Amino acid sequence: MSVFTHEVEVLDPIGLHARPASQITKLVKESELNVEIGRPGEEFVKAKSALMLMSLKIKTGEKLTLTVETDDEAKAADIASQIQEFLKG
Amino acid sequence: MSLAAGAVLSGLGVGLNSAVGEVFFVKPQAPLPEWTKSSKSAAEEIAALKTAIANVAASLAALGERAGGTSAEIFEALTFLLEDEELFELAESHIEDGWSAPAAYGKAVDTFAELLGGDADFDERVKDLQDLSKRVQADIAGIEMALALPEIGRIVLVGEDFSPADTAQFTKAVVGVITLKGGPTSHTAIICRSRSIPAVVSCGAAASLNNGDTVLVDPVGDRVLFGGDESLATKAITYIAVNDEPIIPVRANIGTLADAENASAKTEAVGVGLFRTELLYLNSKVVPTVDEQAAEYASILAAAPQGPIVVRTIDAGSDKPVPFLHMPHEENPALGVRGFRLIQDHRDFIEDQLKSLEIARVKTGREVWVMAPMIATVQEAKQFADLARSLGGYKVGIMVETPSIAALIDQLAGIVDFVSVGTNDLSQYLFAADRMNANLGALANHWQPGLIRTLARIADGAAKGGFSAGVCGESASDPAFAVVLAGLGINSVSVSVSQVGAVREALSALDIGKAKEVANKVLLAISPEEAKAAALDALAAL
Repeated sequence: MSVFTHEVEVLDPIGLHARPASQITKLVKESELNVEIGRPGEEFVKAKSALMLMSLKIKTGEKLTLTVETDDEAKAADIASQIQEFLKG
Repeated sequence: MSLAAGAVLSGLGVGLNSAVGEVFFVKPQAPLPEWTKSSKSAAEEIAALKTAIANVAASLAALGERAGGTSAEIFEALTFLLEDEELFELAESHIEDGWSAPAAYGKAVDTFAELLGGDADFDERVKDLQDLSKRVQADIAGIEMALALPEIGRIVLVGEDFSPADTAQFTKAVVGVITLKGGPTSHTAIICRSRSIPAVVSCGAAASLNNGDTVLVDPVGDRVLFGGDESLATKAITYIAVNDEPIIPVRANIGTLADAENASAKTEAVGVGLFRTELLYLNSKVVPTVDEQAAEYASILAAAPQGPIVVRTIDAGSDKPVPFLHMPHEENPALGVRGFRLIQDHRDFIEDQLKSLEIARVKTGREVWVMAPMIATVQEAKQFADLARSLGGYKVGIMVETPSIAALIDQLAGIVDFVSVGTNDLSQYLFAADRMNANLGALANHWQPGLIRTLARIADGAAKGGFSAGVCGESASDPAFAVVLAGLGINSVSVSVSQVGAVREALSALDIGKAKEVANKVLLAISPEEAKAAALDALAAL
């Protein structure tokens, strides 16, 4: 398996709060892939846990890195773009 | 203890209608069992935890269906938290260490509550999580958590405070609500306001009520009357204008171009008393140039209602971060580097803001006043005044939010042209009570004598110093309180666009001498209830 890395930006004015976190978690669980999210250079958390995502306390304007473990590059890009949508608020 | 008929139980009113009903006490539920190590196998405990989570999820689904609409989404989100995988895995590891299922889940939730703590955006979620934790623990212990409310009759629900899961169970028989704790911004207050259920919150004395007592819930009077009927409900005061213009100018609070246009089109506001500039920056990723800022300010200044426009320089902090200023996390954002304190690291940004405003002022020909937030010392006021005067031809002032500067107003003579009081933050700092903490709602009440006396001193200090003092906090949006402010010697008020009409009406219904009489009566009060009652009595007698 390869690991694809994408960058997303939190545009939601309240930051990464409960609603986008649960949308991301739902998507990741359905994809059955290992997806991790974090601030560049810091520890990443598993995106299948809304609570872990919320515990990063990410605020609006922050850029995040996400990694998707899959051999399907297009799928990884699709997941990243859907996650970016959730973060638009 | 039994109450005499007509006994008054004071609290904070929510809503404008009253209701009579029978007290239905929601007993604090049986205590949850203590967290212990288990004598059963880990597999049995894990199975018990899974069953309990499934049961709670099912009850949330049922509540969601009953509540419908937006509330249903809330329950779906709660279910997501309840079933979180990392939370379950952490609980599992506690079970493997020998803890019982309720202890394991409780401890796991505590860990996440701590991770999410200290961030105002998550305070409500942490409460939700803890509520879920209690439900799971109660399910395992076989303790009933449903409210079991009657479907018929007229009941006034009384309890400590109500969670989202509780309020979703309110039946149509619930005609009124009383909480012993919780402030005007608690979940209970918000739900009751949106569902038009008369409520009195923060009413500690209601603990002495008994099931079946008849009470009048009288939100306008901020009270509950034991044995009262509708005829005793406090009426909202109607003001009859005796003058064309209010005794002091009523300005509008704005933050955007749309606000400025609304204030001009829909109100008779005289200028703007608070232009919150941070809204223009919260969504910018890079620092806007002076030209970009000047263009944006010019369009807002041009659209604002006629009269002076009081502009507050950026009021951001780590709880209200501006992306391009990169504010580090702080333990106590309200007490941290915010407002004018940003000058330490961001002098260029504050200077650019003032330069942009000067360009916009010259271009539009409007009368602009600038003020800095979060000023704590006379030196800081002087530092801001000198900086602003070196950059533009506006009037220069400061916000009064800290008790330290409130004590020194007369010493600002010769330094500022005006001061403007932000009563929300001034209350928070005066009473050492977090604005966001529902348990402290009673202290955030603007009728608190400590706040009123401080406002009187600020008005006196400004008069002595020969400059004007305005109030731009939420308190001025309460028409009766605006009259008190005028009577205390405050020279102008600034209120949200929706309240301009009501506040103008109240301030046009009497002359300044009468307002002073009202204020003098209010100054004698020793409690917020007494202060508000004194004002309303004096106003009703007009």
